[in-house]
Amino acid sequence: MTTQPSNDDRISLLQGTLDLLILKTLVLGPCHGQGVARLIQRHSEEVFLVDHGSLYLALQRLEDKKWISAKWGVSENNRKARFYSLTPKGREQLLAKTSEWQRLTRAMGLILDSSKGPLNEGA
Amino acid sequence: MFWRKRSADDFAEEIKAHLELEAEDLQREGLSEDDARWKARREFGNVRRAQEQFYVKGRFVWLDGLLYDFRFALRQMRRSPGFALTAILTLALGIAANVIVFGVLDALILRPIDVPKADQVMTLARKHQTYPFFSYPEVRDVRDGNTVFSGVAADMIQNFGVEADGVTRPIWGAEVSGQYFEVVGIQPFLGRLLQRTDDDHPGASQAAVLSWPAWKSDFSGDPGIVGKTVRINKQPYTIVGVTPQGFYGTEKMGQLDIFVPMANEASLEGVAWLESRSDPHVYSIVRLKDGATMPQVQAELDTISTRIAREYPKDEEKLSLKLTRPGLMGDFFGAPARGFLAGVLGLALIVLLAACANLGGLFAARTADRSREIAIRIAIGSSRWRVVRQIFAEALVISILGGACACVLAWIALTGLARWHPSSEYPISFHIQPQPSLILVGLLISVLAGAAFGAMPLRQIFKTDPNDAIKSGGIPSYSGRRWALRDVLLAAQIALCCVTVTAAFVSLRGLSRALTMNMGFNPKHVVLTKFELNQAGYSTVAADQFQRQLLEKVSQLPGVRSAAYGTTTPLSMDTSDSNIFAQQTTDFRPSNRKFDAFTYAVSPGYFSAAETPLLAGRDVSFTDTTKTPAVAVVNQEFARRLFHSGNAVGRYYKDGSGKQIQIVGIVADGKYFSLTEDQEATAFFPITQQPTGHTSFIVRTDPDFTDAVTNDTAVAIRKVIRDLDPAIPVRECSTWNSQLGMTFFMPQVATVALGLFGAFGLLLSITGTFGLASYTVSKRLRELSIRVALGAQAKNILSAALGRMFVLLAAGSVVGMLLGIAASRLLSAIVYQATAQDPIVLASVAFTLLLTGALSVACPVRRALHVDPANVLREQ
Repeated sequence: MTTQPSNDDRISLLQGTLDLLILKTLVLGPCHGQGVARLIQRHSEEVFLVDHGSLYLALQRLEDKKWISAKWGVSENNRKARFYSLTPKGREQLLAKTSEWQRLTRAMGLILDSSKGPLNEGA
Repeated sequence: MFWRKRSADDFAEEIKAHLELEAEDLQREGLSEDDARWKARREFGNVRRAQEQFYVKGRFVWLDGLLYDFRFALRQMRRSPGFALTAILTLALGIAANVIVFGVLDALILRPIDVPKADQVMTLARKHQTYPFFSYPEVRDVRDGNTVFSGVAADMIQNFGVEADGVTRPIWGAEVSGQYFEVVGIQPFLGRLLQRTDDDHPGASQAAVLSWPAWKSDFSGDPGIVGKTVRINKQPYTIVGVTPQGFYGTEKMGQLDIFVPMANEASLEGVAWLESRSDPHVYSIVRLKDGATMPQVQAELDTISTRIAREYPKDEEKLSLKLTRPGLMGDFFGAPARGFLAGVLGLALIVLLAACANLGGLFAARTADRSREIAIRIAIGSSRWRVVRQIFAEALVISILGGACACVLAWIALTGLARWHPSSEYPISFHIQPQPSLILVGLLISVLAGAAFGAMPLRQIFKTDPNDAIKSGGIPSYSGRRWALRDVLLAAQIALCCVTVTAAFVSLRGLSRALTMNMGFNPKHVVLTKFELNQAGYSTVAADQFQRQLLEKVSQLPGVRSAAYGTTTPLSMDTSDSNIFAQQTTDFRPSNRKFDAFTYAVSPGYFSAAETPLLAGRDVSFTDTTKTPAVAVVNQEFARRLFHSGNAVGRYYKDGSGKQIQIVGIVADGKYFSLTEDQEATAFFPITQQPTGHTSFIVRTDPDFTDAVTNDTAVAIRKVIRDLDPAIPVRECSTWNSQLGMTFFMPQVATVALGLFGAFGLLLSITGTFGLASYTVSKRLRELSIRVALGAQAKNILSAALGRMFVLLAAGSVVGMLLGIAASRLLSAIVYQATAQDPIVLASVAFTLLLTGALSVACPVRRALHVDPANVLREQ
């Protein structure tokens, strides 16, 4: 899941963020893969581009780690779909990853916002 | 994650569901059905790639590939079950032979005896003699004069008459000195073991220790056994303990069942040898101190033996000691057993190599058949490595299946061997219960074998040129000039098989000679009864009376031709010997002796009962008593060595004590200790001049008697003895021939083992030759048809089709026979007069090989000669 260059104004996902977004999306309740992709796009105000192939591989990876579980079911418009839901282990991971991510963004923000950052000094 | 629960199909299904859901959503957002579908697909990206990643992610790709290779291998085998079955069976036999031989080798030689810290336990031995027999004072001197051993013990294997609950049973056990159980280092299962105080002086204690098996079977596992009293050779003994299960003593070939203090030797046996330096009777085992090194030990043994020799020049002049591994009577059985097993292991490896060469040839032929298929595989992008892997997978499947069968076979054989007790008066059994580690050995051998024959077609694969192979229609251009690898393999295989066949014939011939050899007596139609009168409390005088009384009664039994008795009989393993001095000798130190002779004490009539020809002079007589001058009957070798002539009757010699003995008769030479011995000198004394309770009773029955009738006589003799005195424990009462079992044991085992290898080798050479011959003919059917169509004669066809085969067979056979002759020298240690230079052996080997060669090419030859050119050419 490397970030892929895209030629529209949507941003490709950063490495490692897809897992967190999937977990977050599933907090709302069980959902199928296509639903997860749509929700991520909608909640990011259509900024994120989700590569669907990568999404399914990510779902599989999370399932292998037992953070989410899956079973076949029927969607709201009566189509067969594979529904994913968060396991207790997944919930723990979500909390941990969320706080990790928040610390990361805060740190990034501190560096990028400061006018006398080390990046500017050398310029 | 090795095996994912979710299948690739399920993943594909999910992606399909996604595309449909997405298309539906897009349609709802206003796109046309086709556009929506197209857009959903585009948004998704590369579906195949996602599926591939899913597939690859969860597994080791090479393992997956390997799985495919194995499945392919199984499919190949199912397609030609005959080939698979032959290959597996061939290998199974080859591997089983190796595992069995290795199992025996491991149990008898590699594995130490079954006591704690066994690496510290050694046997005392003599440097210049393989039989590790010592006198008790010698062992005591080593015990008291060393600083390197934590314990030194003497043991003497002995048969006891053990009376418990009113029944007297002959039980094999040992008289052991005080440190015996310290040396073996075991803990008692019940009670206590014998200690130094038990052996302090004669009569120090009347304690006995039972073995676990004897406690279980003879005393039905009585938990209150400790403290019970039994009578051993009529003396009351208290059972003080039971050894742990699995303890058999320190000799691997038998099981000792009762242990008593050696100090009580005189009261148990009725003869006192404990203090005599000239009476070697005991084995000695020692335990090294922690950290004692072998050079250190040897230096100390040298010092001790020099000192003993200086102190007792008369008896100990030539004493020199060393240590050797325990378990097989020092080097006495150890050395030949090691030599024999190494030889047999060599043959087993040869058989396995031949089997591998055989299979390698078959594999090479099969690969040649597949050359077009392999060329296509390579042409469409398979790597050569991948093709090689397929072949190896097939080889491995076959070899591992073969190995598994072999392990089962070996397990059955070894368990059978462990349960087997060869017919003998001695308690012989083999502690060779198979160990699980043997399975590992079997597996290792199978993988190696698989790799060996799997590697045979490698060259073919690597030189496959797809262009060439496809152009020429998959039939390799058969130049007929170059030697293919499989030809060389066949020759090698024939040579190897020839070695096994030669070895088999050599040992068979040796055995037949051993069986028909002149032993100096005739064991046929003789019942041999053995008992110890001192076990029933007889004095020597009483023993003499009993023996004469018994002789009289037994002589009156119906069908008895003659009867006599002696201390022991030739070839019965418990032979004694003594130094022989010339009449004029005055200094009786061993270096002054003329030679060493076996000695027997016999009753009058012994020579006629044993059918040992009396050549000159007279038999011993009941008138020779302790009060008349000492006389002896000697064999021809004795007379030759002492007087350099056969004329010895009436002349004198002296024994180690200086007693002058007159020779009154000469008997024919015979075998006394083993069949392979050089001619030994022997003296027979009248038993009435040295009465003893040690009795071997021989009764010759009517030569027209069948074995069954002879056995009836044995029953009658037992009854006579029981009627005379029920307290006498009869150790053995059966035909003399059956008691010679031990003597013929080694040659028989050798012949059976080598015979099996020989048969197996023949089988291999038949299948190998047949396989390659029929392959060659079928490959060249087209060419042969053309030759026939052009008018070739049968002779031309044969030489064209199989000429090379005949050259191979001949070359392989000659090389194999030469190798076999060289290898057979190794056999001469075990098999009497084994020699491959024997014209009968050479002729039999040559004939057998010719016959098998002819048999195995007969079918292909027929096929080559009956080629119908019209048919074959039309088909192609």
